[in-house]
Amino acid sequence: MVAREKLSRLKEKFGTAIQRADLPGAGRLFVFVEPAALKAICQHVFRDLDARYIISIGADDRPFSGKFMVAHNFAFDKESLLTSIATYLPADNPKVDSISDVVPAANWAEREIHDLIGIEPVGHRYLKRLVLPDGWPDGVHPLRKDFAWNQVPEGYDDTREFKFDEPPEGCTVVPFGPFHPTLDEPAHFRLYIEGEMVRGCEYRGFMVHRGIEKLAESVLTYNDIPMMAERICGICGCVHNVAYAQAVESAAAIKPPPRAEYIRTIMLEIERLHSHLLWVGLACHIVGFDTLFMQSWRIREPIMWIAEKISGNRKTYALCVIGGVRWDITPEVKDELRKLLDKLEAEWTPVVAAVSKDKNIQKRTRGVGIADRALVKNMGLVGPVARSAGVDIDCRRDHPYAAYDRLDFEVITEGGCDVWSRVLVRAKEVFESIKIIRQCLEKMEDGPLQLTIKDELPVGRLGLSSVEAPRGESHHFVITGENNRPRRWRVRAPTYQNLQGIPAMIKDQQLADMTISLGSIDPCFSCTDRMETIDLKSGVTKVWTQEELLKLTRTKKT
Amino acid sequence: MKLLLPILGGLANIAIVLVLAPFFQGVLRKITALIQSRQGPPIWQSYFDLLKLLGKEDIESGESPLMQRFAVYLAMATVLTVACLVPMGFAAPMNAAGDVILLIYLLTLCGICTLLAGLAAGSTYSLLGTSREMMTMISLEPLFAIAIVVGAVHTQSFRLDTVLNGSVYASAAFPWSGVIMLGVMLLSFQAFVQRVPFDISEAETELMEGPLMEYSGPKLALFKYAQMAKLVIYSALFVTLFVPWGTGLMFPLGWLVFWAKVAGLVLLVTLVAATHARYRIDQAIRYFAVLLLVALVALVLASYGY
Repeated sequence: MVAREKLSRLKEKFGTAIQRADLPGAGRLFVFVEPAALKAICQHVFRDLDARYIISIGADDRPFSGKFMVAHNFAFDKESLLTSIATYLPADNPKVDSISDVVPAANWAEREIHDLIGIEPVGHRYLKRLVLPDGWPDGVHPLRKDFAWNQVPEGYDDTREFKFDEPPEGCTVVPFGPFHPTLDEPAHFRLYIEGEMVRGCEYRGFMVHRGIEKLAESVLTYNDIPMMAERICGICGCVHNVAYAQAVESAAAIKPPPRAEYIRTIMLEIERLHSHLLWVGLACHIVGFDTLFMQSWRIREPIMWIAEKISGNRKTYALCVIGGVRWDITPEVKDELRKLLDKLEAEWTPVVAAVSKDKNIQKRTRGVGIADRALVKNMGLVGPVARSAGVDIDCRRDHPYAAYDRLDFEVITEGGCDVWSRVLVRAKEVFESIKIIRQCLEKMEDGPLQLTIKDELPVGRLGLSSVEAPRGESHHFVITGENNRPRRWRVRAPTYQNLQGIPAMIKDQQLADMTISLGSIDPCFSCTDRMETIDLKSGVTKVWTQEELLKLTRTKKT
Repeated sequence: MKLLLPILGGLANIAIVLVLAPFFQGVLRKITALIQSRQGPPIWQSYFDLLKLLGKEDIESGESPLMQRFAVYLAMATVLTVACLVPMGFAAPMNAAGDVILLIYLLTLCGICTLLAGLAAGSTYSLLGTSREMMTMISLEPLFAIAIVVGAVHTQSFRLDTVLNGSVYASAAFPWSGVIMLGVMLLSFQAFVQRVPFDISEAETELMEGPLMEYSGPKLALFKYAQMAKLVIYSALFVTLFVPWGTGLMFPLGWLVFWAKVAGLVLLVTLVAATHARYRIDQAIRYFAVLLLVALVALVLASYGY
């Protein structure tokens, strides 16, 4: 067994620094280690054992064990193993050795832990504020258990401004965002420009952070959270929905019935189809090729209709509950879906053929937004960005979930490392998705949709789940808890890692290539920021001042 | 009478351009929509758009509002002046008022208005657009000038009516220079009318309209109007210079043939715009540089009588 073998290798090398380990089943390994050895162990796992970095998690475990917890998650993709290396820290003045100089991809995650939990990553070279808003007082950490979900911190200062770094010598600053036609969501890049060349950038995002994880830990229940998780993202909502449900199921050792697994797979692939077609269209729009933009969205439209037929919604399918799904695929829908796939295939084939021969598009995308193998490794880049660099990873095959272990499909890779390769990867993956759905419709067996869960879920168990979203791996980490809700739930959307690769991808490129480079990772800022809510209750439009808005958000109306 | 006729003719040309420009824009939008499997706006939409913008509040924004206003008026005025000098189905109305050198100057002035607009807005994006526009102008404007000069060399004249009458082919031997210039102009025409793949200085998804970003309401309407008029006028210029055949026919026929040719050119612009991605500025400049080199060869040929 892979997990056992990895564990014995770690024990051999680090001896008593490995305090205890948990091997809850195939493909999962939890190792609890001495805080002092954490960095060395992570370095060994990342560099010597060549694991892929996923995410770091901080948790306030004081009410339960009197300690803080930090975990670094890694994936052994070739051996189908997800592992979490965790350590407990003392309750007062928690500090942990930063791993970001040996695992550069941990940069943001450690800053987030510092912001939200207040665990200081010692030795982090760039410990700037990442998640919290500019006016948030120092030393107040909203994800700690003694901070209520609706609490307003003392000393919130509206006038405090974010301090940007000094631009390098000879460069002018071009502000890109928070609002820009190619950004569908607010995010701010400060580009350092020399002539038409980008020399560097600074990112300030997390403008739509709404504390969804806090909400889940304090007010929602296990079966509320999937609906909330879905609303993290408007494109790959179902991915978060499934990933959360699977993380809880893996923690509680529940296996949903086979029919539910097939339905999850079908909905995930429907979502991938719509997302890929949407993205190819957007990429074309960014480089000014609006005809293909319109055509690929036209081809996409029937996918939205079938999703509506199955779930009642074009998006936000509200699919999963713990231990099953809520919608069935009726024989009538089955037929319709088959016909739709045939039509889709017939329409998409000539588009791909035309695009792959088009010199004009290649001119704008070849050699642009380079992310090579080294960057993929160091920054933990995932999805089409990794596959376009020839890194053969895909959670559907590497860490099979739902019904993927019973299906036959290919993982598309390209070697160009550039935007063009990403276009090809995503265009071709459409055909694989069609193949997968067809197999699901063929193999799907009759049976119940949901498991009846009579007992309470076990408390204090860890669950991991990786789901391959259209943009890359979405990773959810759950610690089960009391009161029918998790103690900690950490979401890592693919953009969280891919966005960290952007500064390297746009450096020393033309400004004109910035938008398509950024577009090529298919950034999802609300995924990264996690949670954005819009109230549609009243149709009245009113212009709110900032103070009024803050007041509104802080007084609870029922 | 001698003074009145050219003025009336000029006014007629201006009226034609102003009336037809939004129509051609409407046709362009409709055909683009058809190519993209969309229904598209009604063919008259561009008139309504202009009317709507003209009726909006006139907001003073940007670094120097005065210069912004000036840039718009100058752009419109230049375009309309050019309209007086170009034959549109009839002989050029204000033939005696200027020569082809004036025409070349005025065409350059059109581009300068965009530069002024960008400078007046004063934002980073508009300045980027301005620098792109400047680079484009330097490499692009000589092309039309060379085409006109080739005609002037062949006919040994700077007179508008002589040069703007298919003069590029008016050499004694086979008009190699004219044919070469026809090719060059066809390949660069998209850039003169600022459409995809050469709408680089405005590129919505990169520069958010670049030089125009601070414009709104009536000022934006005038700029848009000037751009639409530019499409008509450049097409008319192209037709008179390179496709003169049939213009000499009896009144309604010759006139109709002329506008049919202009419409054909607009259609070509639409098709190219709908099937291409935008070039990057360095790619575009390299492209123009090659065309410029070819155009210079044509100029040399023309001066030797070919």
